Amino acid sequence: MDWNLLLGQATVNGLVVGLLYLLMAVGFTLVFGVMRMVNFAHGEFYMLGAFTAYYFTSKLDMPFLPAVALSFVVAVAVGSLLEWVILKPFRKDELNGMIVTIGLAMILQNLALMSFGPDPVSVPAIAKGASTIAGITVANSRLYVVVFAVVVLLLLYAFLRHSRAGRGLRAVVEDAETASIQGVKAKLYYPLGFGIGVGLAAIGGALMAPLFSVSPFMGQTPLLKAFMVVILGGLGSIPGAALAGVCLGLLESYSTLFLSSSTADMLIFLLVMVGMLAFPRGLIGKGEA
Amino acid sequence: MTTQLMEPARSSSALALPRGRLLAAAGMVTGLLLVAWPWTAGQFVLHLAILTCINIVIVNGLSLIDRCGQLSFGHSAPVALGAYGGVLCSSALGLGSISAGALSLLACGLLSAVLGWVILRLRGVYFVLVTFAFAELVRLVLLDAGAITGGANGIAAIPPLTLLGFAFDSRERFYALALVLAAASVGFMVWLFSRPLGRAMSAVAANSALAESTGLNVLRLQIVAYIVGSMLAALGGVLTARYVGFISPESFGTAASVAFITMLVIGGRKSLYGPMVGALVLTPLPEFFRGAVQTQHVFYGAALILILRFLPGGIASIAKLTISREARR
Repeated sequence: MDWNLLLGQATVNGLVVGLLYLLMAVGFTLVFGVMRMVNFAHGEFYMLGAFTAYYFTSKLDMPFLPAVALSFVVAVAVGSLLEWVILKPFRKDELNGMIVTIGLAMILQNLALMSFGPDPVSVPAIAKGASTIAGITVANSRLYVVVFAVVVLLLLYAFLRHSRAGRGLRAVVEDAETASIQGVKAKLYYPLGFGIGVGLAAIGGALMAPLFSVSPFMGQTPLLKAFMVVILGGLGSIPGAALAGVCLGLLESYSTLFLSSSTADMLIFLLVMVGMLAFPRGLIGKGEA
Repeated sequence: MTTQLMEPARSSSALALPRGRLLAAAGMVTGLLLVAWPWTAGQFVLHLAILTCINIVIVNGLSLIDRCGQLSFGHSAPVALGAYGGVLCSSALGLGSISAGALSLLACGLLSAVLGWVILRLRGVYFVLVTFAFAELVRLVLLDAGAITGGANGIAAIPPLTLLGFAFDSRERFYALALVLAAASVGFMVWLFSRPLGRAMSAVAANSALAESTGLNVLRLQIVAYIVGSMLAALGGVLTARYVGFISPESFGTAASVAFITMLVIGGRKSLYGPMVGALVLTPLPEFFRGAVQTQHVFYGAALILILRFLPGGIASIAKLTISREARR
C-alpha cells in the first residue's frame, strides 16, 4: 500500500468531515456567544436541514443548490421564531436555558419521527464519478460538498465582518449591554443570532444529505462532535471553532488509519476532557472562560 | 393565623385535633396506603413501583450534586459503573451479590473522588459538558471491552440479590427492598440538609464565592456531594442490574441522563422531595402513552419547557404553595 496515497485519501476524507464539524460548531458557538446557552437542539436543526433538502429535491424536484439555500432560510425562520417564542425568557440563563434546549430537542426529534417515520431516506447524489487531483481520487459529490461548505464559510465571514447586521451581531456577542448603549438593537439580534447559528447547522445537514442517509436520529453524532469541537476551540470563539473543527476531522481520519475507530473515539474523548481541564478557554482558539 | 387559633375546632370529633395535624395524619395514611397498594395491585403495578423506587434513589443522587451548584449531565455514568461493577465483582471475584454490590459502590465512590477532584474545578456549562463527555467515554469503554462486559450484547441472566440466604427473586420481595432504599435515600437527604454539612452545601450553591470567603472549603464540599451523589446513582445501578437481570451499555446512554435531569427539574430542583415527586410522576407516565412513544417524548419536552417557564420550583413547589396559602388564611 502506498502511504502517500493513503495519507492523501485520509486527508480528503478528514477535510470533508472536518468541514461538516466546522459548520456545526461555528453555529453552535455563535448561539453560545449570543445567548450564553448550550444549544442541545443544534443537532435537530441539522436534521431539519437535511429533511428540508430532501423534501425540496425529491418531492418538488428542485435543483440541489436552491434546495440548500431554502433549507437555510427555513431553519433561520424556524430558529428565530422558536427563540422569540420559547427561549426569550432564558437568555443568558446558562443552566435553565440549556435544559430548555434539551426539551426543545426532544420535541423536534419526536415531531420529525412522527411525521417522517423512523426509516432513513436518501437524497440522490449531486454528482457522479470521481476526479483525480495530484494522484488522489475523490468522489465528485464530496468535492462539491467541500466547495459549497467553503463558499458558505466565506459568505459567513463576509457577513460578520462587513455587513451592518453582522457587525451588530458581533457587538452583541462581545457585550450586549454596551452594544445597546451604542444603538445596536440587541433585542433583534438574539433571534437573528440563534437563527443564523441553527441555519448553519441546517446547511451542514442539507450538504451532507446526499452523502449519508437522512433520518430523525441523524443529529445526535454531529451534535456530539460540535460539543467536542467547541470545547477544543474555546466556547464562544468562532475562529477557534473553525480551526478545531477541521483539526478534529483530520485527527479522526488519520487515527482510523492506525487504530480501530472505537479506540480512536475514546482517545479523542480523553483528549477533550484533558484539554478542557488544562485549557478551559480552549486548546486552539480563545473562548470566554 | 390568630383567628384560626382562637376559633374552636369545627370538627365533630371529640379529640378536636388542630387542623394541620389532622391534615398531616390524613396525608400519612394516604401515603402509607399508596405505598402498600402495589403489593395488592398485581405484577405490572409492582414492576412500575420498583422502577420508581430505583429512580428515586438515582435522582436523589443527582439532586445532591445539583444542590452544591453543579448540574451533572452524565449521571448515567455512575449508574452504569454501579450496575456493571456489581455484576462483574460477583462473577469475577466470586463474591456474594450483596458484598459485590457494596464493593462496586465503594469503587464508584473512589473513582468519583478522583474524578470530582479534577473536574469540579470547572463551573456551570463547562462542568455540564465534561460530565457529558465522561458519560460518553464510559459508554464507549463498556461497548469496546467486549471480552469483559459483553460489548453491545450486554450481560444477561444476572442472578437476583441474596441476603443471608433470602433471595429477592420475586417482584413482591424486591419491591420491599427498593422501597426501603428509596425511603432511606429521601430520609438521608432530609437529614443531611438539616445538618450543618447540608447547610454549608446550600450556601455553596447560593453563592460559592461568598461561601468560600466565610471559610467554607467549596471544592471539598462539592467533592463530598459528588461522591455521595455518584454512590447513590451506583446503588440505583446495582438495583437495576439485579432486578431487570440484564444490562447493556445502551441502557445507560444520554437518554438516561436526560431522563434523570427531566425528573429532577419537573419534580423540583429546590425541594428535597422534588426528586421523589419527579420519579413518581415520570416513571409510570410512559404507560399512558403506550404505543405512542413519540407523543410521550414531545410531552416530556413540552413539560420541561413549561415547568421551567411557569413553575421553576417544579411540581413539589405546588404543595408548598398551597400549604403556605393555607397557613396564611
